[in-house]
Amino acid sequence: MPPGVEYYCPCLSSTPHPPPSSLASSLYSFHPLHSLFFCEECDAVRCNRCVMVEVSGYYCPNCLFEVPSASVRAEKNRCARNCFMCPNCQNTLTVVASDPPDNGETRTSPIVLSAVGEPPFFLYCNHCRWDSAEVDMTFEKPTGLAAQLQKFEDSAPEALEFERLKEHFEPFLPAASSALARDIPGVVKYNPLTRSRSGRDRAAAKSEIPDYRARVEAGSSHGLASGSGGEVDVDFMKHLETAGEVASLEQRWVNSWTTSLHANDLKPLRIPLHSKKSKRCPSCRHILIKPEQKAQSVRFKIKLVAANYLPAITVSLPHARAAMEMIKRSSALNKSTSTAVAEEHAAAASGAMIAGKTYPFHLAFTNPLYDPIQVRLHVQRTLTPSSADGKQKAPFAVTLPSSAFPIAAFAEAWEYEDDEDMFGDEGDYDGARGTKDRDGRARPRTVGVLERRANVTVVGGEVVLGKEARGNIKFNMLVTYTYRSDDPEPENDDPTATPSKRGTQDKQPQMKTFSFYTVVELGNIIRREESKVDMDP
Amino acid sequence: MLRLKAYHRFRFPSEYYSLVLKAAMDNPIYYARAEYIETDTGNKVSRRATIAGPQNIILGGKTIIASGAIIRGDLRRTGPGHAVVISLGRYCLVGEGCVMRPPYKTYRGNFNYYPMKIGDHVHIGSNTVVEAATIGNHVDIGKNCVIGKFTIIKDCAKIADGTIVPPNTVIPAMSLFAGSPAQFVEDLPESTQEMVEAYTKNYYTRFQPMPTER
Ligand SMILES: [Zn+2]
Ligand SMILES: [Zn+2]
Ligand SMILES: [Zn+2]
Ligand SMILES: [Zn+2]
Repeated sequence: MPPGVEYYCPCLSSTPHPPPSSLASSLYSFHPLHSLFFCEECDAVRCNRCVMVEVSGYYCPNCLFEVPSASVRAEKNRCARNCFMCPNCQNTLTVVASDPPDNGETRTSPIVLSAVGEPPFFLYCNHCRWDSAEVDMTFEKPTGLAAQLQKFEDSAPEALEFERLKEHFEPFLPAASSALARDIPGVVKYNPLTRSRSGRDRAAAKSEIPDYRARVEAGSSHGLASGSGGEVDVDFMKHLETAGEVASLEQRWVNSWTTSLHANDLKPLRIPLHSKKSKRCPSCRHILIKPEQKAQSVRFKIKLVAANYLPAITVSLPHARAAMEMIKRSSALNKSTSTAVAEEHAAAASGAMIAGKTYPFHLAFTNPLYDPIQVRLHVQRTLTPSSADGKQKAPFAVTLPSSAFPIAAFAEAWEYEDDEDMFGDEGDYDGARGTKDRDGRARPRTVGVLERRANVTVVGGEVVLGKEARGNIKFNMLVTYTYRSDDPEPENDDPTATPSKRGTQDKQPQMKTFSFYTVVELGNIIRREESKVDMDP
Repeated sequence: MLRLKAYHRFRFPSEYYSLVLKAAMDNPIYYARAEYIETDTGNKVSRRATIAGPQNIILGGKTIIASGAIIRGDLRRTGPGHAVVISLGRYCLVGEGCVMRPPYKTYRGNFNYYPMKIGDHVHIGSNTVVEAATIGNHVDIGKNCVIGKFTIIKDCAKIADGTIVPPNTVIPAMSLFAGSPAQFVEDLPESTQEMVEAYTKNYYTRFQPMPTER
């Protein structure tokens, strides 16, 4: 949804530089700021792909009951109270009694039936109208259904076989995981188990794994009635009348083993538990996220999110904004504009740009820190592989303010006094000099600081689109900012450190810098001749 | 190392997110001044909305009821006296064409309506029908949804556009639900509360009468 800015997480990679934004795979390295974390120990951004996740508590998403970890294992990660999932549509099932309903409404409001109903009881789906009586599953009492269901689940031949398999292989598991860690170096970092047991593993790895004798023969029609691809299934498929008779993949793969192909064999499922998660830095293991214990609390004991540390950046295109405004105004006044004009506005409002043109764009920086910061921007230059003749022909060129600019501190009290003393006067950061500005000099204030209010600074940039430019316009931008450090000891000026760890000890000893990469997406290019007819690039 | 002062680290104000949002979008959402009635507490109610039984409806302040919305405060529990049927908190939005109708059931042979309680910072997208029992704080409901009878939606949950939530569904905190019937999709980010709070405040500030009419 352009335009937009996302932030780079290096995910423990050896290079601090992100892949070029022209690569489709670069998408996976960039994240919205609000989804990122920040480790103070490592002085680094962390994301959901690289943090270590630990379960800090289990709860049922339906009855919201917090399940102690001790019972989670015994109950096979599913709710042991009266919470069931419809095998047909995955809606939550309700317990219904057999007594005749007063009117049509009773069936869909099960709360009525909990205490007074007459047996037998069955499970009913108020979305697709499936009920457990269809699969001959009825209950004498409306309570303790989960225990009855679990007994049934656990006594299934596949479940018993799985238990035996687990028992058989349990002693060899540490050896296997250490072997995996040896072959794939990254694994050991994520598996505390192998690290602590490595001594014993070597001994275990030497012993041979004895043959396992299965109780149920795979593919036989004895234990597994159907679904294992035997003749029974072929016969069933041959005589199909409607596709609905076959249970869909989605309906079947919630089970961990092959289940019947017949839709009318599907059994209700106990609802899988959800968990609350703590998150740790993958490198130093410090806690980044620690939720409060109560399952439905949205508060956190520890919450180190990147938005608290890095300035928030938003991008806007003045031409798109202007077009948007026109649409808003005309719709608010219920004016009827000609469709051609409206379409043009719509194209511009959605951020579409025309090849061969030059567009200004605005980057708004909001400072989360209680101290002012100085920001410097760089475009990551990328080489297009198509430049065989040696002549570099980028499809577009981006100009950003070349000198540093200040952003005032975030103050809750809204007392923003002049912070000019700290960073010198306004003239110093007149960033209106672009590096590659062809004709921009005649138009001042396109590139440079445009606006400063409270803890927000808006800077202007410019993009020159080549005649042959196509597709999505996005570029990687390195953001470096200087802040006042509260750290008393200047310990981290290791020259081999990543740019983010380098301190600036030259002039002001308490000033430090931090750098991070972002990707700025401006929008799509439409060709001039297409612009009126077809908005699709 | 970039370290924050302890008080900052644990108490991150949503005002900051509001500023970020303001930097991103300060363009107003205009309405014709004559269309909306503004109350003392800053609620903005469209004259084109149908508010049935207004004496049974509570609006927390700075809440917007858009054009074509229908709020059935008249569907109250039988019996004497006056009762709150629908209550909405602060900074809520009931989108265009929404229907808010209290849930009902027959208990021991008696048909009755039950109250609907909605927290603060709850946005409901256009043309959504809501028959929920309780909706927590910081909940974002998309457009064209059906929120079935007696549904309980916990804090910071999000319902995607076009979701059908069957009656009696429970939607846990900080989770995204979508589809028909509604199903869990993913956990939402840890900063959801601040994001939603900032968004709803920002929306209210941007929602203003056309300047030409001033
Ligand atoms: Zn990462
Ligand atoms: Zn449960
Ligand atoms: Zn169903
Ligand atoms: Zn760390």
